[in-house]
Amino acid sequence: MAHDDLRSFLDELDRNRQLLRVTEEVAPEPDLAAAANAACRIGPNAPALHFDNVTGFTRARIALNVHGSWANHAIALGLPPETSVKDQVQEFIRRWEEAPVEPERRADPPWTRNTVTGDDVDLYAVLPLFRLNDGDGGHYLDKAAVVSRDPEAPDDFGRQNVGTYRMQVKGRNRLGLQPVPMHDIAVHLRKAEERGEDLPVAIALGNDPVITIVAGTPLGYEQSEYRLAGALRGAPAPIASAPLTGLDVPWGSEVILEGVVEGRTREFEGPFGEFTGHYSGGRRMPVIRVERISHRDDPIFEALYLGMPWTEIDYLIGPATCVPLQQQLRAEFPEVRAVNAMYTHGLLAIISTAKRYGGFARAVGTRAMTTPHGLGYCKVVIMVDEDVDPFDLPQVMWALSTKVNPASDLVDLPAMSVLELDPGSEPPGITDKLIIDATTPVPPDVRGSYGRPVTDLPETSQWIARLTSMLARGDS
Amino acid sequence: MICPRCAYEGVDTLACSPVPEAWEVLRCGRCLYAWRTTEPARRTSREHYPEEFRLTQDDLDRAPEVPAVPPVRR
Repeated sequence: MAHDDLRSFLDELDRNRQLLRVTEEVAPEPDLAAAANAACRIGPNAPALHFDNVTGFTRARIALNVHGSWANHAIALGLPPETSVKDQVQEFIRRWEEAPVEPERRADPPWTRNTVTGDDVDLYAVLPLFRLNDGDGGHYLDKAAVVSRDPEAPDDFGRQNVGTYRMQVKGRNRLGLQPVPMHDIAVHLRKAEERGEDLPVAIALGNDPVITIVAGTPLGYEQSEYRLAGALRGAPAPIASAPLTGLDVPWGSEVILEGVVEGRTREFEGPFGEFTGHYSGGRRMPVIRVERISHRDDPIFEALYLGMPWTEIDYLIGPATCVPLQQQLRAEFPEVRAVNAMYTHGLLAIISTAKRYGGFARAVGTRAMTTPHGLGYCKVVIMVDEDVDPFDLPQVMWALSTKVNPASDLVDLPAMSVLELDPGSEPPGITDKLIIDATTPVPPDVRGSYGRPVTDLPETSQWIARLTSMLARGDS
Repeated sequence: MICPRCAYEGVDTLACSPVPEAWEVLRCGRCLYAWRTTEPARRTSREHYPEEFRLTQDDLDRAPEVPAVPPVRR
């Protein structure tokens, strides 16, 4: 079932006993972040958290860890909460192939009920902001969908970008923005700045769960996140025009901020505890001037805790990172079977593939590094055979331990691009990248003694069924 | 009041709690560090602020520009 807004999704989580409402009074700091941090540590089926009694606030409603478990990720996709990770990824791929599904323009978005403009804009009056980690430079928006258009093609819907970028609240109407150079908004900003212009943006806070997933999905530059959302939802994504900028924003958002990224301005931002499990250093980054706020009555503020994996962000962007990489690779190499890029947003990826000839697997690994996402990620790519499940880490460890001869199976590519947040990069943004070829050599590569593999016995599948049946009956 | 992070003396008030006098959000005019007055001492007091997160004017001056501002093309 498609959810049109965050509220209806929270109700669905509630029905599935995947939402915990904390009604006792809590402090904004450190309680809110510590609770969300704790939810990540409870286990893979932790609930979302909802707070409505926060010290000093009168009407604050805060949702955390909304995507922070495999159960919640499954419910977001309309799947049973017990759906396995592998099956969620497979279903994501099946629906991806239904894209594009055109969005539906819907009238009277509920966020038009309240409007603040000009000098009255005050982010602190609308949003119950709070700090996440000790070393953060301030309060952050870390789960919003930021919408912008290509200044050279302002009417091109496909080039309109919907992405999640961290934003530091620096004043009542002022945000710091981190546009990672590999991401589409950085392309939009560069074009605007080359023209000497500001870049209009709309920021949608508190969205339906699929919008949040697609905003974190590394699509091609001309692919529309809203068209993918329609395919993943199984129904057109409802959108509306933001009143100040005309940008297309989700119909069901809790809050819409509009303004501009100020062209050719940089200002100190950060540090911020990032998804790498490390703080990014302080840098001078772009600034957004907020000129209009539209919001629902009593808006729900949604945020996510992030830090040393796994945290909510790893569930949120795990499958969303695997699928585009797999689809982009299979477009050229149909031998690719599966991609597991769930580790630190794909800084490490595991790819299973059949081989055409010797050296093929490492060529596929190199190609992964030149996909749109791979340019900033895929620092380590582990290639495994087609009969190894990249989501089954013991199988991957078996491949690494037996198929790899370091003499020639480690392909080191020096001084490649990576996102600057990679704490190992030196200088930031530059790193060697490594392919570990853990596939079985095939001719003309005749290294090793792999001619006599031990495979499961032909009768094993029958015995699996027999034993499973006996266990189900409770035989002893 | 000085900034816990960079010891700058120019601090202003960004927000006051909707419930009167429960807390304020303060902001440093130099490094833009923002904090709520009710946060733990490790975030609000210069004396207790962790060494690894402290900043100097030199740190602010040397912070890299990301992304670099491109040349204007007319």
